[in-house]
Amino acid sequence: MRRLPDASPSGRAITVDLEGEAIPAVEGEPVACSLIAAGESVFARSIKYHRPRGAFCFAAACSHCLMRVDGQPNVYTCRTPARAGMRLERQNAFPSAKVDLFETIDWFFPRGLDHHEMFAGVPVAEQVMAKVARQLAGLGLLPDHQAPIRPHSQILQADIAVVGGGAAGLAAARGLTERRASFFLFEREERIGGRLRRGAPLPDDPAVADEASFPAHHVMTRAHAIGLYDDEHGRFLAIVKMEPEGPRLLRVYADRFLLAPGGHPALHPFENNDLPGTYAGRAASLLLREHGVAPEAAALVGWGEELHALGRLLQAHGTQVRAVVDLRGPLPAGALPVASVGSEPKAHGLRKVTAFSFQREGGQRVKVDCDAVLVSTPTSPSFELARQGGAHVRFDAQRGLFVVEADADGRTAAPHLFVAGDITGGGTAREAAAAGARAAEAICGGRS
Amino acid sequence: MSKALICSCEDVTVTDIRHALSRGYCDVESVKRYTGFGTGMCQGKSCQAAVAALIAREGPLQPPGILPFTPRPPLYPTELSLFASVPVNPAEPPVGGVPQELGTFPPALRPTAPLPQKAKVVIIGGGVMGLALAYNLSLRGETDVVVLERGYLCAGASGRNGGGVRMQWGTPSNIELAKRSIDLMKQFARDLGINIWLRQGGYLFMAKTEAVARRLERNVALHNKHGVPTRIITADAAREIVPGLTLKGVLAASFNPEDGVIFPWAFLWGYAQHCLKKGMKVETFTNVTGFEISGGQVRKVRTDRGDIACDTVVLAAGAWSPEIARLAEVELPNEPHRHEILSTEPLKPFVGPLVSVLDSGLYFSQSMRGEIVGGMGDPKEPAGLNMGSTLRFVARFSEALLEQLPQVGHVKVLRQWAGCYDVTPDNNPVLGRTPGLDNLLQMSGFVGHGFMMAPAVAERMAQWMITGEHDELFHRFNLRRFTSGHLEREDMIIG
Repeated sequence: MRRLPDASPSGRAITVDLEGEAIPAVEGEPVACSLIAAGESVFARSIKYHRPRGAFCFAAACSHCLMRVDGQPNVYTCRTPARAGMRLERQNAFPSAKVDLFETIDWFFPRGLDHHEMFAGVPVAEQVMAKVARQLAGLGLLPDHQAPIRPHSQILQADIAVVGGGAAGLAAARGLTERRASFFLFEREERIGGRLRRGAPLPDDPAVADEASFPAHHVMTRAHAIGLYDDEHGRFLAIVKMEPEGPRLLRVYADRFLLAPGGHPALHPFENNDLPGTYAGRAASLLLREHGVAPEAAALVGWGEELHALGRLLQAHGTQVRAVVDLRGPLPAGALPVASVGSEPKAHGLRKVTAFSFQREGGQRVKVDCDAVLVSTPTSPSFELARQGGAHVRFDAQRGLFVVEADADGRTAAPHLFVAGDITGGGTAREAAAAGARAAEAICGGRS
Repeated sequence: MSKALICSCEDVTVTDIRHALSRGYCDVESVKRYTGFGTGMCQGKSCQAAVAALIAREGPLQPPGILPFTPRPPLYPTELSLFASVPVNPAEPPVGGVPQELGTFPPALRPTAPLPQKAKVVIIGGGVMGLALAYNLSLRGETDVVVLERGYLCAGASGRNGGGVRMQWGTPSNIELAKRSIDLMKQFARDLGINIWLRQGGYLFMAKTEAVARRLERNVALHNKHGVPTRIITADAAREIVPGLTLKGVLAASFNPEDGVIFPWAFLWGYAQHCLKKGMKVETFTNVTGFEISGGQVRKVRTDRGDIACDTVVLAAGAWSPEIARLAEVELPNEPHRHEILSTEPLKPFVGPLVSVLDSGLYFSQSMRGEIVGGMGDPKEPAGLNMGSTLRFVARFSEALLEQLPQVGHVKVLRQWAGCYDVTPDNNPVLGRTPGLDNLLQMSGFVGHGFMMAPAVAERMAQWMITGEHDELFHRFNLRRFTSGHLEREDMIIG
């Protein structure tokens, strides 16, 4: 990964402290982005086998980028803005994450370690194992400091609460604004737009709405939902809002809820899919579009329109795209010439990706050198809040995803709970926007 | 070393998932528990769909039998200090809660093989009580046993508890049962070939009122008499055991170094695997729908998969026991009460014992995996089979925990859930024969501590069932006591 020469820096040049070493960073960008741009690939060691890990999803949906930050354990560096002098430490390694003695566990147990049955009932060995396991378990040490007293949790009330400021949520917000409905929209990123800003663009993507076109203070960014709860006053969203002085917990009571949180980047299972240098496709497009960081040479693997769009995006910005392996096929129009249908992907490298191989359909195994393997599969719907609220979730075996069941207007099995966009199983941004607009109309009573 | 990870938070590989399927753990909830996938920092966000796809491809289940595991709030790791900022109205009872657990499991999960048409013993409830009993019956030569479970293994309280095991009780019966249980737990891995990770870090009880402090003192004398080395300790000694403990408002503390914590789920898997090897039946996703009764005897147990004729029926359905008993027109005095619990991010070991404030019921310990696991009962909780999660609980718990252990304010909660205590009027179990229905045996009413009592209770129950020898346990705790009025109350209830 490198910074693109033509990218204009989005913030001040600063340094952060990585275990005593000063690393150049850009103020305000995710510190994980600064680290990989500076060539740091190993962020931590994994919990059991002590495998090297680097940032993967850039969406707080995995655990690869967790570090100790300013004395706090298990911090998502993919979501923590870089600040001058911030202290970063790698976790779960001895003596260091680069040379970790416990890496031997990974080599000793090539077929895995069965903690249920290993040494079970073997005198002495089981006691020793229990002691060792206790010391090896856990990720990170206690925080250095006590937490401050947090500001009082705040109560908000509106007719409608919308979760997610991507294509679906924004189209809904536009519809709600036009109908003069009272609503709040919560977007967990710093800027609204979702995949329209962070994904690989598709030709028919709608434009990103202007935040100023919505009622003032009713679209909140850096605010993520953690639960859809009930209490004596009714149903409410618990939202963590990142304010300049720290996080605050909001309770948002509403008559109707529209959930458009999109999906999580999925970890597709293949050999060494956790090797540093492996990134989710959406992470790669985010790094390129928002922060001007991209691989020198990349291999892409996955399926769906975004896979091929990502290939085009990277190539247009100077990345050498060495392979685009479509695990499902057939190849769509607009696929890069290097693209092929294939199977059995595998990442190669000792502590970071140096190569990628796959089985070409009807042909031989192909291996290409690269510094990044980018996995682009349809995002895995974030159905959790909807399921908490009583919506039905089913497994779509064809797409390989859990999806929230809804009618064409986004109505779910739970009263007053609507969904739109990727949460119902994907589609393009244009389709998500159409679903959001329809749901807004239905919520306001325009459709029966 | 080359590996294909499916859940990278917990280092679960594709091979691990296949291993679970080969052991018969095929539904998503069971695969989650057996492999640990989806229990790490991301709570299944990046892995669950891939696991489901693998199950759909290689397992026996197809959608609609493939459902996501119940999502547990919070959606993203959230600091205890933030939860503590939510005001709670202690005068109001908690309501509702999300997500509502499935009341019934979809028929697609039901096994397709036929149920046996008869069995000597039918055990209703595949929790730790029922399975431990089945295991103990087999040790005594009885293997014509069918265990019926309404969900997956671990779906009830056996899969939802904090894993504490202690000898610090208020009555001789419970002290003796707990002592025996812990002895049996020590040899569990040898007997059943699966690790249960018993760690004897002790239980540290704290009292904030004079009355409770006196109860602790009284109990220490009782414990010592029964060979349990509990002692009253000073504040300094308590802080030596748990560095950073504030002991705010605490008047007295007691400590027994031999109490501990275990990993509960492995008990069920160990017992169940043993039963299957012995040719016994453990039928999951099977609902009891009624009984055929004549001449003061249960003749058949009716289920949604057919009837089973039997000689003896054991009701070990925990908080569901009153509901099942009613099908036989038996009224149990038990009431289900929701108890909520949470688990944090895993940290390197820093808390040795399970710590509890006896007055409020606050308890917390550090699991083998390093998570802080804890709960606190709500005095306003109404009776009912409710397993929803509330923000109110996390707020109350966080505030109470941070009062005693302020250094964990930045520690993040990963998930919260709830289970039901099976509460009786005297906090003691219901055991033995049912008056008027001689071959219906009761084995319920353990008020949240059934897990730790199960190995010992099941051992005595199997012995009593097989030999018919007198055992005072089954008279002392017989259903009759609630009408005849001889109640001996247990006061050491937490959570």
